[in-house]
Amino acid sequence: MELTRRGFIKISGATAAGLAVSGLGVDLKPVKSHAQMLKTKYAKETTTICPYCAVGCGAIVHTSKRGDGRVMNIEGDPDHVINRGSLCAKGAGLKQLVENENRLTVPMYRAPYSDKWQTVSWDWALEKIAKRVKATRDQTFSAQNAAGQQVNRCEGIASVGSAALDNEECWLYQTLLRALGLVYIEHQARI
Amino acid sequence: MTNHWIDIKNSDCILVMGSNAAENHPISFKYVNEAMAHGATLISVDPRFTRTSARADIYAPLRSGTDIAFLGGMIKYILDNDLYHAEYVADYTNASFIVGKAYKFKNGLFAGYDAKKRKYDKSRWAFAKDGTGVPQMDRSLKHKRSVFQLMKKHYRRYNIKLVSQITGTPEADLRKIYKTYAATGKRGKAATIMYAMGWTQHTTGVQNIRAMAIIQLLLGNMGVAGGGVNALRGESNVQGSTDHCLLWHIWPGYLATPSTKWPKLQDYLKRRPQSKDPLSANWWQNEPKYMVSILKSLFGDNASAANDFGYDWVPKVDAGTHYSWLDLFDEMYKGTFKGFFAWGQNPACSGANAGKNRKAFEKLDWMVNVNLFGNETGSFWKAPGVDPAKIKTEVFMLPAAVSVEKEGSITNSGRWMQWRYQGPKPMGDSRPDGDIIMELGHKIIELYKKEGGTFTQPLTNLKWDYLTAGQYDPHKVAKQINGYFLKDVTLKGKTYRKGSLVPSFAFLQADGSTSSGNWLYCNSYTEKGNMAARRSHKDAVNGIGLYPQFAWCWPVNRRIIYNRASVDVTGQPWDHKDWVIRFVGEAKAGKYVSKKWIGDVPDGGWYPLRNPDGSARADAKHPFIMRPHGHAQIFGPGRADGPLPEHYEPLECPVERNFMNPQYINPTAPVYKADTDAFATCDPRFPYVATTYRVVEHWQTGVMTRPQSWLMEAQPQVFVEMSEQLAKLRGIKNGQRVKVSSARGALEATAIVTKRLQPFRISGTTVHQVGIPWHFGWRWPQSGAEESANLLTPAVGDPNTRIPETKAFMVNVTRT
Amino acid sequence: MDTTIFIDTTLCTACRGCQVACKQWHDLPAEKTVNRGTYQNPADLSFNTYKLVRMSEQMVDGKLHWLFFPDQCRHCLEPPCRDTADDARAIFTDDATGAVIYTANTRNLDAAEVIESCPYDVPRRSADGTLAKCDLCYDRVQNGLAPACVKVCGTGAMNFGARKDMLSLAEKRLKTVQAKFPNAALLDPGDVRVIYLVAHDPGLYHKNAVAAVRSPVHMTRKMALRQMLRPFNRKAVRFPV
Repeated sequence: MELTRRGFIKISGATAAGLAVSGLGVDLKPVKSHAQMLKTKYAKETTTICPYCAVGCGAIVHTSKRGDGRVMNIEGDPDHVINRGSLCAKGAGLKQLVENENRLTVPMYRAPYSDKWQTVSWDWALEKIAKRVKATRDQTFSAQNAAGQQVNRCEGIASVGSAALDNEECWLYQTLLRALGLVYIEHQARI
Repeated sequence: MTNHWIDIKNSDCILVMGSNAAENHPISFKYVNEAMAHGATLISVDPRFTRTSARADIYAPLRSGTDIAFLGGMIKYILDNDLYHAEYVADYTNASFIVGKAYKFKNGLFAGYDAKKRKYDKSRWAFAKDGTGVPQMDRSLKHKRSVFQLMKKHYRRYNIKLVSQITGTPEADLRKIYKTYAATGKRGKAATIMYAMGWTQHTTGVQNIRAMAIIQLLLGNMGVAGGGVNALRGESNVQGSTDHCLLWHIWPGYLATPSTKWPKLQDYLKRRPQSKDPLSANWWQNEPKYMVSILKSLFGDNASAANDFGYDWVPKVDAGTHYSWLDLFDEMYKGTFKGFFAWGQNPACSGANAGKNRKAFEKLDWMVNVNLFGNETGSFWKAPGVDPAKIKTEVFMLPAAVSVEKEGSITNSGRWMQWRYQGPKPMGDSRPDGDIIMELGHKIIELYKKEGGTFTQPLTNLKWDYLTAGQYDPHKVAKQINGYFLKDVTLKGKTYRKGSLVPSFAFLQADGSTSSGNWLYCNSYTEKGNMAARRSHKDAVNGIGLYPQFAWCWPVNRRIIYNRASVDVTGQPWDHKDWVIRFVGEAKAGKYVSKKWIGDVPDGGWYPLRNPDGSARADAKHPFIMRPHGHAQIFGPGRADGPLPEHYEPLECPVERNFMNPQYINPTAPVYKADTDAFATCDPRFPYVATTYRVVEHWQTGVMTRPQSWLMEAQPQVFVEMSEQLAKLRGIKNGQRVKVSSARGALEATAIVTKRLQPFRISGTTVHQVGIPWHFGWRWPQSGAEESANLLTPAVGDPNTRIPETKAFMVNVTRT
Repeated sequence: MDTTIFIDTTLCTACRGCQVACKQWHDLPAEKTVNRGTYQNPADLSFNTYKLVRMSEQMVDGKLHWLFFPDQCRHCLEPPCRDTADDARAIFTDDATGAVIYTANTRNLDAAEVIESCPYDVPRRSADGTLAKCDLCYDRVQNGLAPACVKVCGTGAMNFGARKDMLSLAEKRLKTVQAKFPNAALLDPGDVRVIYLVAHDPGLYHKNAVAAVRSPVHMTRKMALRQMLRPFNRKAVRFPV
């Protein structure tokens, strides 16, 4: 990936003469200047596309190369031809979508009639789900419909989602659902 | 979108209706403002004065659910004043087609209505055809059964006075908007429509958009720069997820879902109509190539001509049965399903009549919910007022990675496929969706391989080789979606090696020699590389902001679709300044002798319909290549509810009759009859029209935005907006918490009393309207006091799409 | 470098990208808010909110206008707050950018006096008396980037650059906007580094849209001198000044 970065301003270093002395004869010359370092200077830069609306604005993600390797900053990608560096309120706050203490970070399970979540491992969760899927599919599969036509479908499972997935994930997900024989497949586009 | 975001800048007149772009597609205003800086007029039509209206040259209010009356009035205005683009209409649309004698329209009903089935016999609307099956035409548009004349007759009733009486839009505003918009019927002028769910979420959703499409065709605004019919899609990849068809009725690339109507592959491959018109490209006749290529992508070497490429292994829907969202939740509510995946979606808040969905979850044995945050769907068993001890449903809550933590592509509303890269690693033990899908799928397949089971073939034969070093590899899937040559293939003298990527869908085959997971994306990842990752700033020769080498767009990187309609019959652009394509083939003695188009990728590279000397060419094609007869459809005989848009009232409405015709509501709208599906029209208990919408600070049900503090700071609570007059009537003060209720549910919201909403005068009476954003739910904020507006909305839908009518329904507002 | 922000409110859609981008870049915490019967939130600038899009519904000549005003420190050319503080360790003008910068040492100032010296009512204090406000993202500007609020703006409302370029852009836009809105004006363009273009009476946007003497009580001699030159509660100044 290549990134070209166009600064917005050519730093001339000049201070305007008009600043130096006021009409009142009071010396208003700037008294101090602190050289500021950009907090993103040593971060890893990757480009992304905003995950909210479908304008498809580009953004730059600054990820810390040290420490926890988490996101330090996300801002508009000036080299993206649609948004040219700009973003809306949601896009501007994208960092909080990622670096958010409210995120789910472990698989959880809620047993029948239970009033709480329990933390489980991925292996445990996916094995259990695979078993549920197979048992349900085997029980509810119809080779034929009521009229005796061949249908080869699983009527006991439905799926909704997801416009939140990448294209490749969407395509992959629908291959799995269709191989399982699901026909109740719907997502955000319908509502 | 037929066009794309940047192209909005090329427009002369921008109508924002059925959407609120400043709010929900904020960066579109970069281009709206740019168009306005060049003199374009911005028109905002909305029940509320919105952030879009704040920037508009013209704002007009409209009662929710009356868009067809509004647009029908514009059609009449254009026809009455001869403001249509005559050549375009005659040559490129089906205005010239002759409709069969069985067609009629009377008392609000089209011919062929069966009141018992609530369905039309659409054969009654068929075109009169010549001996070869080509529709009879009268390019003079004078034949009394021509589409043009029937349209004229149909909209004769839509006079400004009546339209105003129905919509509540002042007559002067209607006149001003019609005049301004219709002025783009002139050559070289273009107007665009920016619409969204404000048009789709109605029992007349499809016909709302058809009415606008008719206007765009009459004015010659389709295919041109700054024109088009532009659906502003609301989610970053809802275009891609639709293209890849996570929907019951279509397969990747908008192919029909296999159905009992086509029990065998041979039936399926013959399903598309053939055209005998040599001038019709009838592109869908290529569907067999796309279907066989999908099956090869699904099943690889296990799919062969001998086993119909595995067609028998894929599920068939029952012809005539619907499996869409509303049906799905109706069935779930009845207890039809044991298992349920809610993958990156929150139906506890997003669906119409969300209370019904929440009850329906209780009937499930198990639910898998994949998301970034805890939400009202996965946690439905502990929602306020629900006793977990009574809920049997097992719930698996799986943590997904955020988009910036993984790699892959998404497709924006302008059909641009764009590649994203991984920044940080997934937080904690969260995983990219692709990894979750792969691992779950492999576990299921292993179980079937180990234990056997019912109808194992589709699973054991599935070609699922998308791992690299044990992990999901988006590049491998992206290449499969594009497609491969599966043997050495020689086409037009060039040999393509087995295992190489197919350059574009024109190379796909129906004999099993190619694979492609989605023909529309064939050309996106080729031997030249990952087209979606391109970043060039070089514009096309026409300089209209196409940026053809930035990312990639379907189909075949065509940035403005239907662009063959942007030129006259000799291939020269209507608009010489902002032209899209231009024919530059050599002409000798008034005849074209060589073929060359410049500009955008043309919608088919054939010769123009006529030579410079005006003589017709036999080797040309009509511009609307996806239609069987090559013409855009002003008359749409394939729709469930009629070939021409007609105003019907929403299922729940404030008027006792439809002032346009004696048929009250859309006679084909699907209605559901569970005990939770209550409806109340003209009911004094629910006297106010309501609509739902979004705000810029939140997104969809808010699952991704409500757990964020900066956005919650800006927009902390669900609110209900109402006029000062209504607030006075109900004794409500600005900022007060109030109760909003419908026949289906109720919630508490903060009143925003504002001048931005004004009561409507509807046929002499005052009608109040309120509006509520649907971003909230009890899970976040943690007060649990903010709820979803979809607890109020009705589970009733458009008969074509079954998209729910969540934009017009009836409520009451009371002090708490 | 002599920089200036030009804010063309006639292009603003109140998407509040600037408001959130400011919080993002400065890592400022969110405030607990409630809906007060308006879209605008937070209610006001604060120690943790340097940039706020103010929204106001106004009838002008019988027509409804929803006016948006992305409020922030104006970075005065001759900042009364700096003069009032009279302590370069607390408030100084960064000569690389022209930004008026508040440091942690503002804790030692008479906060009320500094706040009241501001003709736009911008500075805000924390519980311990430290003052804060917009810093023009001078870290970004020194490194060749536009301030976060300007970079994020998609509508063309927020602009940043060399002062002379911004003044000429402001003048050009004023002429264009005046064709539609004859009362359009630039606000205090000769005195500040954040220049607003408004289409209507600035008072309709926000009570402190234009400079005003807010409290004569705490005025220093220096401030009094300067403010004698300013008419009280004056309206917008038309360009050129």
